[in-house]
Amino acid sequence: MSKGKVWKYGDDVNTDVIFPGKYTYSVLDPAEMAKHALEDLDPEFAHKVKPGDIVVAGKNFGCGSSREQAATCLKFAGVQAVIAKSFARIFFRNAINQGLPVVQCSEAVDNVESGEKISIDFAAGQIKGEKGIFTFAPLPEFILRILDSGGLIPYIKKKKIEREKNLGDKNA
Amino acid sequence: MPKTVIEKIIQSHTHDEVAPGKIVWMDLDIRSARDFGGPNVVKNYGREYGDEPVEDKTKTFFTFDLCVPACSLKYAENQQVCRDFSGKQGIKVFDVDQGIGSHVLIEEGLASAGTTVVGTDSHLNILGAVDCFGQGMGDVDITFAFKTGKTWFEVPETLRVDITGKSPPETTAKDLTLYILKQLGTKKAALKAVEFFGEGVRDLSLAGRITLCSMVTEMAGIIGFIPEAMPDSEYANSVSIDVSGLTPQIAAPSSPENVFAVSELKDTEIDSGFIGSCTNGRTEDFAAAARILKEHKVKEGVMLKVVPATRRVYRELLDQGILETLFSCGAIISNPGCGGCAEGHIGLTGEGEVQISTGNRNFAGKQGRGKTYLASPEVVAASCLAGRIIRPEDL
Repeated sequence: MSKGKVWKYGDDVNTDVIFPGKYTYSVLDPAEMAKHALEDLDPEFAHKVKPGDIVVAGKNFGCGSSREQAATCLKFAGVQAVIAKSFARIFFRNAINQGLPVVQCSEAVDNVESGEKISIDFAAGQIKGEKGIFTFAPLPEFILRILDSGGLIPYIKKKKIEREKNLGDKNA
Repeated sequence: MPKTVIEKIIQSHTHDEVAPGKIVWMDLDIRSARDFGGPNVVKNYGREYGDEPVEDKTKTFFTFDLCVPACSLKYAENQQVCRDFSGKQGIKVFDVDQGIGSHVLIEEGLASAGTTVVGTDSHLNILGAVDCFGQGMGDVDITFAFKTGKTWFEVPETLRVDITGKSPPETTAKDLTLYILKQLGTKKAALKAVEFFGEGVRDLSLAGRITLCSMVTEMAGIIGFIPEAMPDSEYANSVSIDVSGLTPQIAAPSSPENVFAVSELKDTEIDSGFIGSCTNGRTEDFAAAARILKEHKVKEGVMLKVVPATRRVYRELLDQGILETLFSCGAIISNPGCGGCAEGHIGLTGEGEVQISTGNRNFAGKQGRGKTYLASPEVVAASCLAGRIIRPEDL
């Protein structure tokens, strides 16, 4: 996995600062959404973020409103993954459903700094930073499959096609 | 070992064996979308499923509650997108006149004990107040639920919270809720279901239960329940909170868990007050405020906004003369809905404005550029009379 620059924030980063409510009523295209990512937390982020960068935060990342744009805007800003001590459940699901990897690893959060380049090995459950290698429990198999398919709906569609193919093979 | 409340409800909606930490596929009794999220659900649905019918139109609803009636073209168009889709699909819309979706679902009997409900409202876990599994979800999850009537869910662990002692009569369900939030923070209940036990919570009315359960979201919990029976299940953790010395509580900007005793922040000047929201928008919330406001006037220069949760609440306020009291004291009374909570219709704050609200969130930017404090209807009412934060007893 390629290295990404760290953007580090604190605990309880809520979805209002990830994607401001004032934009939620316009059904924006992804590129437009990306321009407002983290606007009320770090106005510099959206201008300076590069594809492959990594957002790192404390506990309860993505708390608050259920807005899906909080996950979408980070994904389309090019963010490779979000590493946090813990995630709010709705954000966690939205990220998975949008194909944005989320990694829970307190040790990495405590030991990486903004601007540092780190890499994540999702299969091995390892984060490599300047201060060392930090391990995390890989996501459950079921969630990894959703993530690999690009989200929940493509995953179910893929499963359905596979099922029909298997059925077709049996009937042939 | 008997299952916890959430385990029992999920088990009755899945063929999978339920245990904490397990991901199961579960059946949904109701799925809903609001005017927020709804248009994206429609867009997703069209892209993924075209004109195919939803799994069960009698179990699928739109509830418009955020910007009602629409105050701008984009809001109007988004609501119309949902109405068009509903017309084609034969789905019922609880339209802009009806009020907060979660409350409407309770009033209509659609959310009831043992049922499972999902929607695009992050406070849908409020339905725990009626022993219903309610969960807020994002647009993709709800699109999928519309089409299949199912969702995947990781069965959470359950935290047992024992509320000990009896809270003093001058305190309210909101004070209790804010105090519990202060004790639990956003860590102890994180990603867990919560079961509250003890006299202090068992005696709560439906409105009080709604207040408590609504703010389990702010505790980072999955959902809260107030079981009738004594605890007999296996809990991941337990916490005991003594409320015998409870006093009126208030959350200061910019986090709901930033809780103080009202007395610690007394005399902070305010510019506006808001009474309403899914947390404190029931008839008894307004009745409590009215008892304090009756025959008084809101301090000159202070704006008091009143937003009933639902049309049914509005009717009750009319019938009981509560609207008359609120109007006469100088309040601005709006039609039912979410009001100012979601940067919506009533109650955006400008830079430098200080608001005291009965809502559930005070994140920076949530209600505009101003600062928002969270408290009970009684404290909001008293503070609007004084023009500064004050306990009702100190008026």
